[in-house]
Amino acid sequence: MSDPKSLLVIDGNEVDVRPGETILHAARRIGIDIPTLCHDDRLDPAAACRLCLVEVEGARLMQPACATRTSSNMVVRTAGGRVERNRRFILSLHLADTIQERAVCEDNGPSRLHEMAELHGTAGVWPAIESERAARPDDDNPYVAFRPDRCIACSLCTRYCDQVEAVSAITMAARGARTTVSTADRLALTDTTCELCGGCIDVCPTGAMSERPALVYGKPEAELEKVRSTCNFCGVGCQVDLNVDRAANHVVKVTSPPPGTTVNDGNLCVKGRFANDFIHHEDRLTTPLIRAEDGSLQPASWEEALARTVEGLARVKSEHGADALAFISSSRCTVEENYLIQKMARAAYGTHNVHQCAAT
Amino acid sequence: MTTYGAGAMTNSIPEIRDADFLLVIGSNTSEAHPIIAMEMKRAVRRGAKLAVADPRAIWMTEIADWHLQIQPGSDVWLLNAMAHVILEEGLEDREFIERNTEGFESVAETVRRYSPEEAETVTGVPAATIREVARAYATTPKAGIYYTLGITEHTTGTDNVYALSNLVLMTGHLGQRSAGLNPLRGQNNVQGANDAGATPVFYPGYQSALDPGVRRKFAEAWGVPQSDSPGLNLNQMMKAMDDGSIRGLYLMGEDIVISEPNVAHVEEAMNHLDFVVVQDIFFNESCRFADVVLPAACFAEKDGVFTNSDRRVQRVRKAVDAPGEARADWEILVEVMRRAGLEQPDYPSPAEVYDEMAALAPKFSGISYQRIEAEGGLQWPVPTADSPSTEYLHKGGVLRGKGLFQAVEYRAPAECADPEYPLVLSTGRTLYHYNAGTQTRRSAGPQLKQPEAFVEVHPRTARRLGLDDGALVDVVTRRGRVRCRAMYSRQVAKRVLWMPFHFPEARTNYLTNDAGDAVTGTGEYKVCAARLEPVAEQGPAEQRFRGAFAAAGAD
Ligand code: SF4
Ligand code: SF4
Ligand code: FES
Repeated sequence: MSDPKSLLVIDGNEVDVRPGETILHAARRIGIDIPTLCHDDRLDPAAACRLCLVEVEGARLMQPACATRTSSNMVVRTAGGRVERNRRFILSLHLADTIQERAVCEDNGPSRLHEMAELHGTAGVWPAIESERAARPDDDNPYVAFRPDRCIACSLCTRYCDQVEAVSAITMAARGARTTVSTADRLALTDTTCELCGGCIDVCPTGAMSERPALVYGKPEAELEKVRSTCNFCGVGCQVDLNVDRAANHVVKVTSPPPGTTVNDGNLCVKGRFANDFIHHEDRLTTPLIRAEDGSLQPASWEEALARTVEGLARVKSEHGADALAFISSSRCTVEENYLIQKMARAAYGTHNVHQCAAT
Repeated sequence: MTTYGAGAMTNSIPEIRDADFLLVIGSNTSEAHPIIAMEMKRAVRRGAKLAVADPRAIWMTEIADWHLQIQPGSDVWLLNAMAHVILEEGLEDREFIERNTEGFESVAETVRRYSPEEAETVTGVPAATIREVARAYATTPKAGIYYTLGITEHTTGTDNVYALSNLVLMTGHLGQRSAGLNPLRGQNNVQGANDAGATPVFYPGYQSALDPGVRRKFAEAWGVPQSDSPGLNLNQMMKAMDDGSIRGLYLMGEDIVISEPNVAHVEEAMNHLDFVVVQDIFFNESCRFADVVLPAACFAEKDGVFTNSDRRVQRVRKAVDAPGEARADWEILVEVMRRAGLEQPDYPSPAEVYDEMAALAPKFSGISYQRIEAEGGLQWPVPTADSPSTEYLHKGGVLRGKGLFQAVEYRAPAECADPEYPLVLSTGRTLYHYNAGTQTRRSAGPQLKQPEAFVEVHPRTARRLGLDDGALVDVVTRRGRVRCRAMYSRQVAKRVLWMPFHFPEARTNYLTNDAGDAVTGTGEYKVCAARLEPVAEQGPAEQRFRGAFAAAGAD
């Protein structure tokens, strides 16, 4: 397929050159995984973290694989002393800029930075970098907690907000070691264009952006069990992971499966990610109710309630015919439940009067 | 839709990012389907052209190349005028029309009378814009149309969809990646509920309930003769409740007292019923009329599948136990059927319920829990165990023979503005809340962003009435009166009002029109005539309003 002239070489393997492709993606095609920290396939590269530097023959400095486009006759080395030394150096540097102890750093979600450090090693523990990062003013938004002391200025969150959610609620502010995330005019997040999608939390490699309710709950993600399910709000059908505290029978938070794996490509909206308080809300119905003589609804056993249900429906049917019954179901219920309710209408009661409540 | 096969997105959600032209009509995508909006944003960043047709300057218009700010209810005019331009300029796909469609001539005939110039006077969209958008649509191969309730929630909802489908058929934008006709479903499992036959006209898998052969098949499968008397759709049910021909109601997971148009009427009708069962996760408004209330499990507490907008059948998995004695809806239904004397198999789990349905519905016959487990979500049709998931429909031509053109004429909405009700009220959903609000209004974030009911009104209209931004106001239609907060907004045109329907203390559906579409019975939520009445004494009114909010709101 490929023109023999438009080849490049990565670690001794010949690879065809595709227009616009980066070294990172060309390498992935042949099964070479170059470690990255500030890269995300959904975002334009920022080349901010320098973890992905590789050697390119003829270039004096190493080049970021996430941002460098391939060209014919390019010769790339993704391993070897210089490349690996850089990785360890960069990982030590970033660790010194955040929480060095993995368990503490992962009090909310997993940290990609620590994961990379464990995988590729470091150049030792360096003294913590004392940066005076300007914190945002206290922010009372219920969902996104920002802990500036952990931020390594990789700009994943701001690029996500800008390019994927496209609301640009947060930006990188200040320079050098003081660079951090802020909002325009340092407003509280809920006073900005922020739509509380929580994407910034998901992409952050250090837990600087984290989920407030889960932090308050106090169990790190690693101690929760993930149950893959489908969001119950709109018709997109985002796949979600319900993060469950098994002992407490409690859904602590909802996260997205990794990008590139499901229909939502790692994204969620405010409802899917955060509007789950209803699950454990105190207003949930917990017992059947039946209408008493005095007209009030009173708690009853399932036995009584089901008997009353069947008897009431049977009476209407015998007095007025099957078509005097109507069954309304919900698109909130599962396919199986909708199948069963139409079976109930058609087979148990003998009417086609069954409709789900939403026409679209 | 009857035009080509079953109503579902012809494309897949992940294909949107590769489209080169998108027409978004009657869909506030960034609020109602945020994740689909992300795909659209991605396409636009890549250089795709975006046209948004909506009465409001919704967020999507910020990144759009064209905003066609149409007068609510004038969609057919706009779409026919686009077809007019396409034919006038010879941009149609003759070969596709020839090979795959029927009825082209009558549409060509009809749209000849819909000139963009005249369209401008009815729709408010400049003729030049209509021409530009029509050209861009017709001449871009990867061109997709996306619509939602803004198209269907009209008395002319079916016509609107025909008009869209005509555009698709005449340009041949079908049966390819990123090019097709895509209804975005408003709720998680609307597609699945329809697929499963929770509709009076279809058994599972869109097999017609009017077809005696189909009825015989199900009579045999279930061991019970099947009624030949046609069923009622939701809109007809409401009317039948009112006139006394429906006497018993079983409500599963829906709060019709808040979600149906012309709510006052529904409440009255509920009072006429002899027997009402409500099965839900919360004590909703409809429970006030119930004889029996059955506590149900929510999605996190049960197993099953949901089918999303792009026909993807995906698993719901039980994560926690339901509170108290609440039970999964499927378990309750099986138990009720048994007690009603219809013997039921011992379903160990919903997987076996699914298998029963799949065996009866060829569209899904190849889908099973085992396959979903192994392959992830599967997009129907999947007729056999070795058929692959279907990414987009109508590959290599139109499903079920030929695509049928349907000429449609403009009909005015059932209710137009008049001297007594000089404004047009449209309703919809917002990003932060969901339907009747029973779930989202129990969450902190949505409550913080949008705590109260409001009506969007253009500042000019408001000022003429002496109405301050944030003041309380009564919105009045022929059916009722609702008090809420006026919110100045340039998103709406001057004669248009817009309200979300998530707030029980200000029930928008006291106002909306229950005149239904002739085919689907969907209520005309999107257009009715209204007027605003400023509230004279803001102080006391304010206190009462807050009180109502506290009573209805979270915690
Ligand atoms: S929550 Fe979403 S919208 Fe808000 S700042 Fe984070 S990425 Fe941006
Ligand atoms: S907050 Fe997290 S994601 Fe954002 S720049 Fe800092 S480290 Fe990166
Ligand atoms: S991943 Fe390439 S510079 Fe961060």
